[in-house]
Amino acid sequence: MAEPRWSKIGRDLLAHKIRTLLTVLSIAIGVFAILVVIGGRGMLVESFDSNFPRSVPANATLYTSDFGEELVRAVARQPGVRAADGRRSTVMRFRLGDLRGVEEPPAGVTVAERSRSIEIVSAGDWASSEVERAFADEGVPWPPGPGEVVIERSATQEVDIAQGDSITVDAGDGELRVLRVVGFAHDINAFPAMFSGRLRGFVSMGELTDLRQPEAYNQLVVSMDRADLTRDEASRFAAHLRDDVLAPRGVAVYGMNVPKPNSHFLGDIFRAVALLLLALGIMALLLSGFLVVNTVSALVTQQVRQVGVMKAIGGRSSQIMWMYLALVAAYGVLALLVGLPTGGWWAGWFARFGGGLLNFGDAPATAPGYAIALAIAVGLLVPLAAAYFPIRTGTRISVVNALTRTGMSSAKFGHGFIDRVLGLVRGLPRPVALGLRNTFLRKGRLVMTLVTLTLASTVVMSVMSVRSSMLKTVDDVAAWWSYDVEVSYQQPVNRAAVEREILSTPGVTGAESWILHGASLARPDGSENDAPSVIGLPPASTFIKPRLVEGRWLRPGDVGLVVINTDIANDEGLRIGDTRTFTVRGRELEWRVVGIVQGQMMGSLVFTDREYLSRALGEEGAVGRTVVRTTDTSDAGQRLAGDRLEARLKSAGFVVSGVRTQRGMSTTLANELGILVTFLIVMAVILAAVGIIGLSGTMIINVLESTREIGVMRAVGASHGSIFQVFVTEGVVIGVLSWAFGAVFTYPVSLGLVLLLEKAITIPLSYEFSWSGVLAWLLVVAGISAVASLLPAFRASQVSVRDAIAYE
Amino acid sequence: MHASVHRSLEGTHEHVARRSHGRPLIELSSLVKVYDTGEVPFTALKGIDLVVDEGEFVGLIGKSGSGKTTLINMITGIDRPSSGQVVVDGTPVHALGENALAAWRGRTIGVVFQFFQLLPTLTVVENVMLPMDFCNVHAVRERESYAMALLEQVEMVDQAHKLPAALSGGQQQRVAIARALANDPPILAADEPTGNLDSTTAEAVFGLFEKLVRQGKTIVMVTHDDDLAARVTRALHVRDGEIVEETRSPLKGSGQGHG
Repeated sequence: MAEPRWSKIGRDLLAHKIRTLLTVLSIAIGVFAILVVIGGRGMLVESFDSNFPRSVPANATLYTSDFGEELVRAVARQPGVRAADGRRSTVMRFRLGDLRGVEEPPAGVTVAERSRSIEIVSAGDWASSEVERAFADEGVPWPPGPGEVVIERSATQEVDIAQGDSITVDAGDGELRVLRVVGFAHDINAFPAMFSGRLRGFVSMGELTDLRQPEAYNQLVVSMDRADLTRDEASRFAAHLRDDVLAPRGVAVYGMNVPKPNSHFLGDIFRAVALLLLALGIMALLLSGFLVVNTVSALVTQQVRQVGVMKAIGGRSSQIMWMYLALVAAYGVLALLVGLPTGGWWAGWFARFGGGLLNFGDAPATAPGYAIALAIAVGLLVPLAAAYFPIRTGTRISVVNALTRTGMSSAKFGHGFIDRVLGLVRGLPRPVALGLRNTFLRKGRLVMTLVTLTLASTVVMSVMSVRSSMLKTVDDVAAWWSYDVEVSYQQPVNRAAVEREILSTPGVTGAESWILHGASLARPDGSENDAPSVIGLPPASTFIKPRLVEGRWLRPGDVGLVVINTDIANDEGLRIGDTRTFTVRGRELEWRVVGIVQGQMMGSLVFTDREYLSRALGEEGAVGRTVVRTTDTSDAGQRLAGDRLEARLKSAGFVVSGVRTQRGMSTTLANELGILVTFLIVMAVILAAVGIIGLSGTMIINVLESTREIGVMRAVGASHGSIFQVFVTEGVVIGVLSWAFGAVFTYPVSLGLVLLLEKAITIPLSYEFSWSGVLAWLLVVAGISAVASLLPAFRASQVSVRDAIAYE
Repeated sequence: MHASVHRSLEGTHEHVARRSHGRPLIELSSLVKVYDTGEVPFTALKGIDLVVDEGEFVGLIGKSGSGKTTLINMITGIDRPSSGQVVVDGTPVHALGENALAAWRGRTIGVVFQFFQLLPTLTVVENVMLPMDFCNVHAVRERESYAMALLEQVEMVDQAHKLPAALSGGQQQRVAIARALANDPPILAADEPTGNLDSTTAEAVFGLFEKLVRQGKTIVMVTHDDDLAARVTRALHVRDGEIVEETRSPLKGSGQGHG
């Protein structure tokens, strides 16, 4: 037979099932949160670390006029170049299925079937490419054969597409080509379809002719030797390639992309999510620590007489302390049994979900060892640390004190300021007044419960404000662009001709065409910023509503004058009056800044007069995008108009590379930001659960400790309902107090969260405090508190006078 | 096994009995206990001097609030004196630290409470084994046999594996007495051990005490039952923190076979 003191531990666990359940859940939530957050993050990092370097990301991508293998070899021979490769990239429109011979459905009727964009990419040999490598799934022909396409894996986020399906591609010559989907490949450097709204398909170079594309490259991807390369160095090297290698061979460079070396384009968002999750995980852990302190304190209080008896029959404080520590360790072990498998599963889900969104590739099957070890340590050590002082204090009680507890609450009431104020509250029904005062009876426990629930309330309400800030940001961005549909063309088109077609399309109320090109800004130190896009538009355009921060907007007749947005102004330190040289379509143009407008989720933009730009580029009358206003501005209306426009332009012989609706773009943007909000909401829900468990636990303990009082109340005539009311009131008062404290902290916390997110994702967000969120949480927390108190209150109301008075 | 353990217990008791009577076991001198109850301190014990010899059956008798429970708590070390000395079996109890006191008490004094105070989640035999466990008395494997032997003495062997909640008050008190004897202490201190029992059960429990005294134990018992008080060998009447009267009489009755 086991030594009785250890038997007592096991029996105590079983004898108080609800208390055991609450404590185990409290700890398990901490274990769960740590495993999901640290483990899930670790799994994501592992998949990223194994897949990203393996892909050999390019240090520079040059968007060029057509070139061949000979140039690729010339670049590869350059000192410092590790590898170079040529790519052909063309954006086309496609629809799912083999649509040859199928009569074109009437425009507007087939919204679900409407065309989408696909970036068709081809390379000499995908399998042997040494830069920006994509990896085909097992058994998939790589490179794909004639008439075949391999689809980038993230496509499944956007469309229901499977191996064996066909897609019908419009090559722009009026004839449809069908490509068979022979499988999927993973390209970690591809922008996930969910964010870009378009798919990426890999074909062989031989396929290009059939797609009416020249069998030549138009992108040069270069990876450099040095591991410690800086972005500026890479940028300078790319400019050197452009000027000294490509230009002499007659290859024009239209744009360059030089990413920060060894960083993924979604790394910022990932870091922001990871940081937030870590913060919230630690918070969940702290809260679960508070819960353990509360529960264990109550447990010791409840068992104080047993402690006294054990001491009276020879138990030393240290022996008894070890017993209770063993009990807490047992709670920890049980919590691990619950928290490890569930946390492990959700960590896997999180890694798969996050990895899918970010297109990081396959996640490992299990959380990293360090995360599991940390979760185990958290499950065992946090409860022991949290319980140590309550147990130490409780087991050091003198025998006489322990044995002379009357069963009536030992808490003091009536001396403090709050107690006196509460004593002055008149006119409430007696049970409500009693519940209100009882709330403040055990102030230490109240503080612990309030801290837990207030933290949860603060996070929940702050997350609601973050959410409303995100939505406001989306609205603000949408308000910037005052049109419904934008149509982009594969090649520059004639403005007058295209606008004639567009304006005669039913449902269109206005249209304006812009010149749109990538631009490269030469810095004084020789490096280049290739991020900006330049938009040539009529100065009097009503299709955008820029918010001027400084200087003035464009005026008709401006020559060499530009308005920039805050993104590029901040990146480059540009001010009104500064002059810089931009390279657009291979031409160097000197521009002076006359105005700065607020940028918001649109990247670095430079605006200039359309007429001036077309002259400067020697492409008069050519435009790259038309923005359109429609009669029906609803989502369906915009999509319908998009369909009609595409059909109309196609029949008129224009090659459209993309049709995007304003609402669709807002949705994509909202999706991007929504990922952050989703993660935040998940964590807020976990914290709220911890808070509610804490409140339930506190109420159960309060009822247990009030057993004698309940007996006295019953003896003097209190009904079941009155007793019930006392405890429900107490629970609701705690809930509402936590809301009130939480509301005070919500503004600074939510503002901090928004600023943190802004910094992490480098996107300015429009802060908006969510009053509706605060009010909604009041209702929710009051309701939940009432529900959390129901069971304890019911138990209290069922206590008989005899049992209550005899309670030991 | 039970029988041999029982014999060995009996042997120990005979040995104690042989050296019993005459040796001072409990010595209290100038014992004062003042409680700080807020505005006016309350003096519960006012300079008590008392010597209890080995083998005595002492009854502390008095009304509620007279100081009798405080007095027995001083002897057991459950409470500490404000001044004065408590020496039990040669040990200055008042000078022991909390842990030393617990270990000392576990081996020297068996405590019996009015409300039995069995641990509700331990079975009867586990409750009896608990003091052995705390004080590391007997080899781990032998503790159950010793506990069963003690339960046999108090006629509770049949209930050994039940939880306390399944027992009547009298049965619980018998188990509590077995627990008090677990480490074979020379002294038993009982605070109103029959206060929560009906008269028949109380009689049985008292009979058990008489039997233990005959076996050589020294018992100090608090009671306000005059009938029981009349049957102890030495009755000390406590009033307002002082021993105001003392009566002595020989042990009566056989004390065997109560149940």
